[in-house]
Amino acid sequence: MKIDHSLPLEYSTKQNGLNIFGFWVFLAAEIMLFATLFTSYFTLEHRVGSGPSGAEIFEITPVLIETLVLLTSSFTIGLGVHAMRIGNKKAMMTFFMVTLLLGLTFLGFEIFEFVHYVHIGAGLQVSAFTAILLTTLGTHGAHVTFGLFWGTAILLQLKKRGLTPETANKSFIFSLYWHFLDVVWIFIFSFIYLKGMM
Amino acid sequence: MGELFPRKQVMGFVFSLILTAAALTVYFLHLSFAQGMAVLVITAFVQALLQLVVFMHAGETEDKWIIYGKVYFMIGVALITVFGTLLIFLWDM
Repeated sequence: MKIDHSLPLEYSTKQNGLNIFGFWVFLAAEIMLFATLFTSYFTLEHRVGSGPSGAEIFEITPVLIETLVLLTSSFTIGLGVHAMRIGNKKAMMTFFMVTLLLGLTFLGFEIFEFVHYVHIGAGLQVSAFTAILLTTLGTHGAHVTFGLFWGTAILLQLKKRGLTPETANKSFIFSLYWHFLDVVWIFIFSFIYLKGMM
Repeated sequence: MGELFPRKQVMGFVFSLILTAAALTVYFLHLSFAQGMAVLVITAFVQALLQLVVFMHAGETEDKWIIYGKVYFMIGVALITVFGTLLIFLWDM
């Protein structure tokens, strides 16, 4: 395949450019997935039945920790892509590993949060509100979980094959996915948690 | 070591922390619902735009306007879905 050296490695072949373009199409569809979840959340958030409301169950500390952890992981994977562009594979892999560890930390807090909700009587089947809350948070959490496996696979491939147009392309696409999850979390943080506690 | 921490990305990170802190004012100050929502809408969308431009490198290649067009179009469809549903189900119009 023709490699254009004037472009960054992840864009260097026609196929690579198309892969990145295709992933943006996927992300656009993901925007719609989360939009429908937010729509349902806004519609159902006041239908608490005999269960608790958002203001009663949300706590600022774990939410703030989750937000800062995810924001930092978005920053470190950005540094990873920068290291990739200057050809520093070792630094790139370190930044990607830090990102995945932060992702794991985030997931740990989220699982703890879910267990806590079930424990205080805000499980999935309690009311329309708890159902849509846990579905929305859970869809985001499932994406992060998937990202952890995906990122690990990419790290293994980088270790085995080194920085090639293909592995660079996959790493860049993974970084897009990760930043997108951070953007979704910002909206969850603002319009589910902070709005609920306002 | 310095070359691993480009200024643009560090500034982007600092700015995203500032935006998070700004959003937190709705929790710590007693704002009205409209004021609080205004703060949240501004901080969330600026934060999303920051991620898109600084970290996702959306504007770097020749197909930048196709990427931006696609994303903005989907955000438009998303907003229509959210507010259209709210109009019917919550605001009884």
